[in-house]
Amino acid sequence: MPVDVELFGIPRARAGVALTTATGDCLGDVLHDLAVQFPSLGETCIEGRQLRAGYTANLSGQRFVTDPETPLAVDDTLLLLSLDAGG
Amino acid sequence: MPHPLFGYHGKYLRVDVSTEQAESIALEEVTLRHYLGGSGLGVKLLLDEMTAEIEPLAPEAAIAFVFSPLVGSPLTTSAKFAVVSKSPLTERINDSLASSGFALAGKKTGHDALVITGRAVEPSVLVIEEGRARLQPAGDLWGLTNGEAQKRLREQLGGDYQIATIGPAGERLVRYATISHDGRHAGRGGSGAVLGSKNLKAIAVRGSQRCKWAQPEKLIDYAKQLSGKSFGPATAKYRELGTATNLLVFNRLNVLPTRNFQQGSFAGAEALSPERLSETRERTRASCACCTIGCEHLYSLSGQSAGVGLKTSVRVEYESLFALGPLCEVPDPDVVLAASRRCDELGIDTISAGGTIAFAMECAELGYLQAPWLRFGDGSALLRALEEIGAGTELGQLLAGGSRRLARHIGHDTIDFAPQVKGLEIPGYDPRGLQTMALGFAVGARGADHNRSGAYEVDFSDQVDRFNVGIEAAALAVETEDKAAVMDSLILCKFLRGVFDDFFADAANMLELVTGWETSAEEMRETAQRIVTAKKEFNIRAGWTPAEDTLPARMLRQPLPEEARAQLSPQRLQALVVAYNGARGWSAEGYPVGMITGH
Repeated sequence: MPVDVELFGIPRARAGVALTTATGDCLGDVLHDLAVQFPSLGETCIEGRQLRAGYTANLSGQRFVTDPETPLAVDDTLLLLSLDAGG
Repeated sequence: MPHPLFGYHGKYLRVDVSTEQAESIALEEVTLRHYLGGSGLGVKLLLDEMTAEIEPLAPEAAIAFVFSPLVGSPLTTSAKFAVVSKSPLTERINDSLASSGFALAGKKTGHDALVITGRAVEPSVLVIEEGRARLQPAGDLWGLTNGEAQKRLREQLGGDYQIATIGPAGERLVRYATISHDGRHAGRGGSGAVLGSKNLKAIAVRGSQRCKWAQPEKLIDYAKQLSGKSFGPATAKYRELGTATNLLVFNRLNVLPTRNFQQGSFAGAEALSPERLSETRERTRASCACCTIGCEHLYSLSGQSAGVGLKTSVRVEYESLFALGPLCEVPDPDVVLAASRRCDELGIDTISAGGTIAFAMECAELGYLQAPWLRFGDGSALLRALEEIGAGTELGQLLAGGSRRLARHIGHDTIDFAPQVKGLEIPGYDPRGLQTMALGFAVGARGADHNRSGAYEVDFSDQVDRFNVGIEAAALAVETEDKAAVMDSLILCKFLRGVFDDFFADAANMLELVTGWETSAEEMRETAQRIVTAKKEFNIRAGWTPAEDTLPARMLRQPLPEEARAQLSPQRLQALVVAYNGARGWSAEGYPVGMITGH
């Protein structure tokens, strides 16, 4: 299933794009696909099917998710961002 | 014979600038161990000075510049000091921190803190060298911007002094005036006005007295490890993009306060983002003293469009961008950068300046404030308002009191949308969409504050539903507040927080390596609770009541227009506050059970 992905901060800088599409039915699969599409993103932000420490994911601006088995719906948009908000 | 103190001098310098008398006063080891330094030791010293009961701009009110056991150590980001006083903006405790060589030189005077009371008979500079203090006239500096005053004083005194100054705003007692040193600011709560009320334009420090460390070899090894971690992924965001990268994230999540908190997103956010700024202008990086992260990102500002003369560069932080951009609905990056630069020159807190001006814009729009030119989205109006604050015009004096005082002056229930808690303007996190942070804002001792409570971290996790936070979030909010209390007292930069696996254990280890105390993570947690409680005690003595632990009515009545789930009722906030007080071990209303600081 194709999923829209929006990237912010370091994930955007590493991937070199703000928007993309990845394939997968759950969070882990989409992250794995992103790492394949964007090796520099994979090297810094993604480890296997999970995000590395310092990064987080959000579904459609609503809830933050970390479990790789989190199912994704067809109209979900995945947001990838740096974890720390402060500043 | 008592054993030697490591990491501390074991004394503070108390200076009465009315009489020009200075006295070194011993600090007991137990006091240092209980309050560490920085914010913690500062509030303890002010409790002892009975400052809570005194009007904050009265000569008798004390202001403390407090160092820490880690200052002067090889630990990255440790060159920090806290300025602690009663806030003229909130009339509650205020502790604002800055990083610079002032901390290093101040501690080398041979003291763990400098406590200043009194009022000099004329505009003066307080010069502290080793253990001695003197005043010198500063009439020629009065009216100068921070940068100008520091440059001239360095020429007069010599380059080896470290000099903290106030700008024209501090002289005029603007209630959110800052204290500045080398481009860094003790920013929030108006400590610059407290210094101005003492007729002090500047404090210059110089010294040569160093503290020994209990376990220097292990400390150096640990410091190397910590520096190594500080180059890693946990700090990449700050190092590569800076805090301003929050702008697009917050905009996407509909928690970017816009148009005086009437909206949670801003159509002009992209143009203000560091991602866009770096495409169109030069960018340089800088670091605070003794910092390996280097979070400062400076962007070039074309002089012509912003009317600032020669091309210059401006440090860009998220909070300044949000407050002077979206909050005032100003989309022009040149104007926002020029406004940020002007705040630094005048010596005013960008968050409170932006918050107060945005509030005034809404009042003017409603016809409650006779300033028809003051309109949302008008960059020239923003810059003019800042100039009026700096010049002390009639309107400027109204704005200089902050949004709460302005609302009280205007009436018409405008207090309902004055963007403040306890008088301190709310930083760039809309509490309706970040409801653990809403709790952190409501209970914050110095008011709405993202530096004393890191509760947004909870909202940015899968531990809670940020739109519908339950009372289980209270304990999580306490945890972030406790971490901040220890970080602000040791003192370390909060941008390091992501590199620690177990912060309290690491904090205990650092303290042990420096001081030799056999301490523990559990003791660090107890210390945090003691410091937070001491701040509450200060506030109670200053007149705090439970009714203060809330948010503006707008936040509790109106959901964000972009997100219907982003609403927080008064009842739910109150339940969160009660749960927070319970997690602290206080009464449901928020009174500590017994005052633990001995007063």
